[in-house]
Amino acid sequence: MIEPSDERAGNSAQRDTSAERWLLAEARKIRWHLLSIIGLAAGIGLLVVSQASLLASACQRVVMQGESAAQIIPFAAALVLLAVGRSLFTYVLEKKSSAAAALIKQSVRSKLYRKIQSLGPAGLAGDETGPLIETVTRGVDELEPYVTRFLPQIAVAAILPLMFLIVIIPSEWRSGLVLLFSAPFIPLFMILIGKGSESLHRRQWGRLSRMAGHLLDLIQGLPDLIIFGAAKKEAATVARVSEEYRTATMTVLRVAFLSAFTLEFFATVGTAVIAVIVAFRLLWGQLTLQEGLFVLLMAPEFYLPLRNLGLSYHARMQGAAAAERIMPLLVKPIPEGYAGSLMPSAGPLAVLIEGVSFRYGGNRGGVTGVDLELPAGSITALVGVSGAGKTTLGRLLVGLARPESGRILINGVDLTMLVPDSWRSRLAWVPQAPYFTSGTVRENLLLGRPDADEGEINSALEAAAASQFVTNLSHGLDTILGERGAGLSGGELKRLALARAYLCPATLVVLDEPTAGLDHENERLVCEALERLAAGRTVLVISHREQTLSRAERVAEMVDGRIERVVSSAVFLTPCEVAV
Amino acid sequence: MIQIVRFLKISRRQWFWMVAGIVLGVVVIAANTLLMALSGWFIASMAVSGVSGASFNYFFPSAGIRFLAITRTVGRYAERLITHAATFRILSDLRVWLFKRFVPLSPACLERYAGGDVAGRLRADVDALETFYLKIIAPLAVGIISIVAALFFLVWASPPSAAVMLLFLLLAGAGLPALVHRLSEEPGRKSAVLAAELRSKVTEGLQGVEELILLGAVERQAATVDGLSARVIVEQEHLGRINGLVLGGMALFAGSGVAAVLVTGSMQVASHQIPPPNLVMLLLFSASIFEAAGLLPSALNLLPAAQESASRVFELADAPIPVPDNHVSSTVPAGNEICFKNVTASYLPGEPVVQNLFLTIPANGSVVLTGTSGVGKSLLIEILLRFRTYEGSITVGGVEIRDVPKETLVGIIAAVPQHPHLFNGTIRDNIMLGNEAADDEQIQQALSDSALETWVAGLPLGLETTVGINGSSVSGGEARRIALARALLKNVPILLLDEPTEGLDAATEREVVSRLKKRFGATGDTSMLVVSHRPACLALGTSVILLDGV
Repeated sequence: MIEPSDERAGNSAQRDTSAERWLLAEARKIRWHLLSIIGLAAGIGLLVVSQASLLASACQRVVMQGESAAQIIPFAAALVLLAVGRSLFTYVLEKKSSAAAALIKQSVRSKLYRKIQSLGPAGLAGDETGPLIETVTRGVDELEPYVTRFLPQIAVAAILPLMFLIVIIPSEWRSGLVLLFSAPFIPLFMILIGKGSESLHRRQWGRLSRMAGHLLDLIQGLPDLIIFGAAKKEAATVARVSEEYRTATMTVLRVAFLSAFTLEFFATVGTAVIAVIVAFRLLWGQLTLQEGLFVLLMAPEFYLPLRNLGLSYHARMQGAAAAERIMPLLVKPIPEGYAGSLMPSAGPLAVLIEGVSFRYGGNRGGVTGVDLELPAGSITALVGVSGAGKTTLGRLLVGLARPESGRILINGVDLTMLVPDSWRSRLAWVPQAPYFTSGTVRENLLLGRPDADEGEINSALEAAAASQFVTNLSHGLDTILGERGAGLSGGELKRLALARAYLCPATLVVLDEPTAGLDHENERLVCEALERLAAGRTVLVISHREQTLSRAERVAEMVDGRIERVVSSAVFLTPCEVAV
Repeated sequence: MIQIVRFLKISRRQWFWMVAGIVLGVVVIAANTLLMALSGWFIASMAVSGVSGASFNYFFPSAGIRFLAITRTVGRYAERLITHAATFRILSDLRVWLFKRFVPLSPACLERYAGGDVAGRLRADVDALETFYLKIIAPLAVGIISIVAALFFLVWASPPSAAVMLLFLLLAGAGLPALVHRLSEEPGRKSAVLAAELRSKVTEGLQGVEELILLGAVERQAATVDGLSARVIVEQEHLGRINGLVLGGMALFAGSGVAAVLVTGSMQVASHQIPPPNLVMLLLFSASIFEAAGLLPSALNLLPAAQESASRVFELADAPIPVPDNHVSSTVPAGNEICFKNVTASYLPGEPVVQNLFLTIPANGSVVLTGTSGVGKSLLIEILLRFRTYEGSITVGGVEIRDVPKETLVGIIAAVPQHPHLFNGTIRDNIMLGNEAADDEQIQQALSDSALETWVAGLPLGLETTVGINGSSVSGGEARRIALARALLKNVPILLLDEPTEGLDAATEREVVSRLKKRFGATGDTSMLVVSHRPACLALGTSVILLDGV
């Protein structure tokens, strides 16, 4: 179930720089925020130097000059003031960085979400919805530490140690040299080890999502596991996969933590070496305690920004990985849509489909050379085995996909010549699984027509045989539905979707399996609603169901992406014909 | 707190790793604090000796400094490895525990949980539980133990300094966290709720994008998502500012604590209670020990959200088992005659869907149940699978089904449930779930009986084709037939089919029905209960029963 994704790692290694470049370009938009963060960090650095030098000189006075506690009070007071200043600077810095993060997250998420929507299923071929949702929600959040921690930390790691060296060298140049020469090892080792753990980490990313998917897949399929007596056995699989996951992760971490280890090593050993050097120079009287102590206090502070940079490496990995998922989506070309300039004529629409083919890469469910006429104001049913291309034809007709060859004429005008928005306003489309949002029944009804008045709503509900169950809901139209319309039955949702279609000022209606999964009673209600909806409109209904077909004037049968025959519904439903 | 105890109980098997991680954490902090203290004392003593010309044994202190430096570095690496190892071990235990808990709850309890979002919510919540040891329990334990140990050390070295440090450590280690806890509880909870809401709006918007385009509602829906995103981000920003408060407060208390020790230490030096170099040691020790206090606020900052997740998971896991397994005998039912006598059952307590039902499916006979949706056809199948409780009596081969172990019962039943699930694997994996030991011939037979063999033969990878997450790469009709083949492969005396031809076109439906008839008409060693409202399926039964509402 778990396979190494070397290919993926290889690909992303190439994309790496462009995704990070994109992220840097995004960060440039908030550069003033980032610069002020760096400025505040430098300010904190100055306060640190002052704290160390005050403390060192106070010790000099007490330990070496035997001054009394009373003489030390001003030093203590000054230290408290410095602490107050440092804490204010720290707070403002964090506040700034959250604000900067908010700006970037909101702008990227908004852009990304709209882009994914405009790509649509056609532009996203191959991308599963689950990971996309993950990218829009958590993925965008993961940019935050990259932009507000890692980026400023690079500057801080360059500025602060330099600043500290400048103040240390005059008092103790030998210790300064120790710092100067140990410092470059930190980024060096960090990069060396980072490179190794990066490729490991990349592979882990894919494994992690597969692993998460594994448990959920099992939980969703629990009833089936129980029926086939496999639930117990699968518990062992959960354990095994988790175990593999642990081993894999620990392999990565053992290497990844090495970089932190080297940081820690140089910082700690550097400080220890300086303590010993300073101690002997003090013993030989070559240094005052004030100078020596100042250097000792500054040594850990010198390494701190470098260590923080090392620790923010994880933020970088996470941010870069998120950018790698976001950036390709943002640059993906939007599939060519319609951009005509003609307005569709008023009144019922006559549709003529001429030699339309569309295969969208695969062989399943495409259509080839379809010719079909939908006379104005007629009801045409489209039947055929699953995978014959019925849904595809419906999507081509409403303009969700563009024919690869052939054309679709609307009252004699090529669909490509029409203004997309005005064409859409003439359409109602009810897909197999209609869209429902968690919100009130009213919100769901008014999606296409936010301005519809109460009278229009009622007549739409009436027409769709939905007014009775809506009235019976605890809060009527203002009853809140759960996700995907949870709270209503399948039949009720279908009727609600029909009511929504009814509300649209549409003259062409395409219904995809409006009665699938319904019992006879519900099917009858939906069919009657469908007939009311059809009055004065041109209707194409995709269905297998007899009751539904009997309402159509003509039945077009699709086989392997072609229209096999178009007959009257009476002929189609004659038993001997069916038995062929 | 309850959640922490519960969490520890579930992961108790990993106590060694958890304790080891905490011990190492304390060692690392102690090594660093002592390294700074020893270095301070060492240079001050050397300075004093340098001036006074007195001899000073510098061998032990400098060896101590080297030792502590190495302990700090190696300890840190070990600590990170061990705490992470503990985390992953716990995670593994936790997942197995959850899975085992969920088995008896399925499906009656799980379905009440946010419908399809069980998966999404569970995933996020289980992920959050991961932070429990690594980011909350371990830092809290390390911080508290280190602070207590440090205070003992200070009491020994300089009681007045211990007193002032107690104050500042309490402020930093308890006052600050308490403040943070109060401040972040609301935004933490809100941000989790809003993030879930954002997720569901994004899901809806991406799944329904085509319809939204046609309805002209894309922009409005995107604006809703923007609005929600902005609200989530406001809460995240709020949490970020609270983090600033923590870091700022820590800097304030650490700086003031050191200033206070400067005063108390100087007083002790002036009154000759401690030797002058000890002042430097006290100052450096005090400055370093705030590292331990710094662990507490960040851990407590994460606590509310993690507790929220934990309580959701535990609430789900603690739901009472809807159908307890109270078997009194373990005899395997000998026959396959199914008798419902005066059976009453419901989905929700107090709302009986099926009442006083009498029904017999003769041994090796077949019955089709039909009727409008909502009359409880599927419910009868779920009762037989022991997914739901019932009143009255149901016997299989003369044995009351609630008296035999669920596993024994399910061992003689195969079923296509109302919503069969395809697992993310190959067609072969999915079919062989029915019978692990099936050979190729049996698989081919099951494929042919479900009218799948032509389709499978036409696939480039044949049986090795993957079906995708939730069967997303195959059509609904194909998924249904794969589920049928899986049930047929189990080859047991009782077969329950809930709408076996759902999603199939008329021709395929007829094909499936005729193949099923051929299979079961000939051998006749299977009792079959079919639930369907599709006319074509009526042919599957030797008798058809129309089920009426209550």
